[in-house]
Amino acid sequence: MNTTEDHKILEGIVTGNEVVITTFYRKNLPYIRQYILQNSGNEEDAEDVFQDALILVYQKLKTDSLELHSSLRTYFYGICKNMWRNRLRKNKKMIITEKLPEDAEIITPTVIQDIEYKEREHIYRRHFLKLSDTCREVLSLLFQGNSMKDIAHITGYSEGYTRKKKFECKRYLIEMIEKDHAFQELQLNPEKEL
Amino acid sequence: MERTPEIFDKIEGYLAHTLPEEEIIAFEKELATNPELQQEVEKHRVLHKTLSDQDTLDFKEKLMQISTTIKEEQNNLSAPTSAPYWKIAASIAILLGVGMLLWYTYINQHNNTQDLYGAYYEPFPVEDAMRGNTNSEEMQSVVKNYAKGAYDSVAVVLEKHPNLNNQLQLYLGNSYLNIDQEEKAVSLFKDIKSSGKYYEVAKWYLSLTYLKLNTPKKSIPLLKEIITYNGAYKDKATRLLNALEKNK
Repeated sequence: MNTTEDHKILEGIVTGNEVVITTFYRKNLPYIRQYILQNSGNEEDAEDVFQDALILVYQKLKTDSLELHSSLRTYFYGICKNMWRNRLRKNKKMIITEKLPEDAEIITPTVIQDIEYKEREHIYRRHFLKLSDTCREVLSLLFQGNSMKDIAHITGYSEGYTRKKKFECKRYLIEMIEKDHAFQELQLNPEKEL
Repeated sequence: MERTPEIFDKIEGYLAHTLPEEEIIAFEKELATNPELQQEVEKHRVLHKTLSDQDTLDFKEKLMQISTTIKEEQNNLSAPTSAPYWKIAASIAILLGVGMLLWYTYINQHNNTQDLYGAYYEPFPVEDAMRGNTNSEEMQSVVKNYAKGAYDSVAVVLEKHPNLNNQLQLYLGNSYLNIDQEEKAVSLFKDIKSSGKYYEVAKWYLSLTYLKLNTPKKSIPLLKEIITYNGAYKDKATRLLNALEKNK
């Protein structure tokens, strides 16, 4: 059932084609939004789930591990719904109006495990993207494995300032993550490591 | 565990395998007996692993950008566009555009400020020692309610007392902060005089109240004052001040 149309969309996602992704976003967000609003969520939850599910598809495409046994849309909706159910379960607000998960065959246990495992990553990413430009620059270079000396050289800051900035930004980031309710819920109900 | 630049350097060195052999042995020895350190190392490990994936970060940023664009389009679509009144419509569109820009800037700043408030605010802790007029049965129950977060009832009782001591003023001010009555919290915190031992605490909570009110400009001089005061809140104030200046 993997049509040419789906192929085009998948290719657009993995290459970061803005037109393709925007069209996909515009077409499919209303459905997910409706599902989440009907099931104890709000607009922001809907955007988060939609984006995080797309990231999961993107990462699967990147690592060549996307197994599509249905149309892309059915698969994608399945991921979104499972992700939202998972989040509701974690914060104990599990009231789902839907009677039976209609996607049991499409979303395999491996995908469900993937959804769980990626939860922490979504939180980390969300907070990182809220940091100031300087913090993001210094920390990105650090995460890519550069030494303080290298970072100072690349950014033009002094080594002392780089080290200070690195510490302050990282500490702030960790504090923000720790304050996030979703993170606290994950700490209380940790997901299994793969 | 207190976070220091030294601990961060060590954890990073450990994760990047750049520590000298003997330091690795010492670090692993400490790690084996210190669960807090284990948790901290784990946080750093996931942080490094997740955020070193620049492609996914770029993809996420693109999605955020697309989402903003779609929202803007939807907002513009709802603006009136009927043909005979095109001039009016155009003016409205421009006004909407400017308004949206201001609104987005406001929301952005607002979100950052609220995030900082969330990151730094913790209710003033209940103190063991009761001071002055806090020893009555009524006050005992106020303190109990405060400790369990029943801020409504704390405010109801304390509001009736004309001469609260500083300790109770702090409890009341913090209760106001938790029931969204910030203006009342401001006047209470301002009322705590510079001669008492609670002066610095009051300044700290006043600066946080301004943050909650989304007027970080008013917080900044207070934080500077706390830093100069050089007391228990100096460290927190320094960090918050830095974060606020980053946000500017």
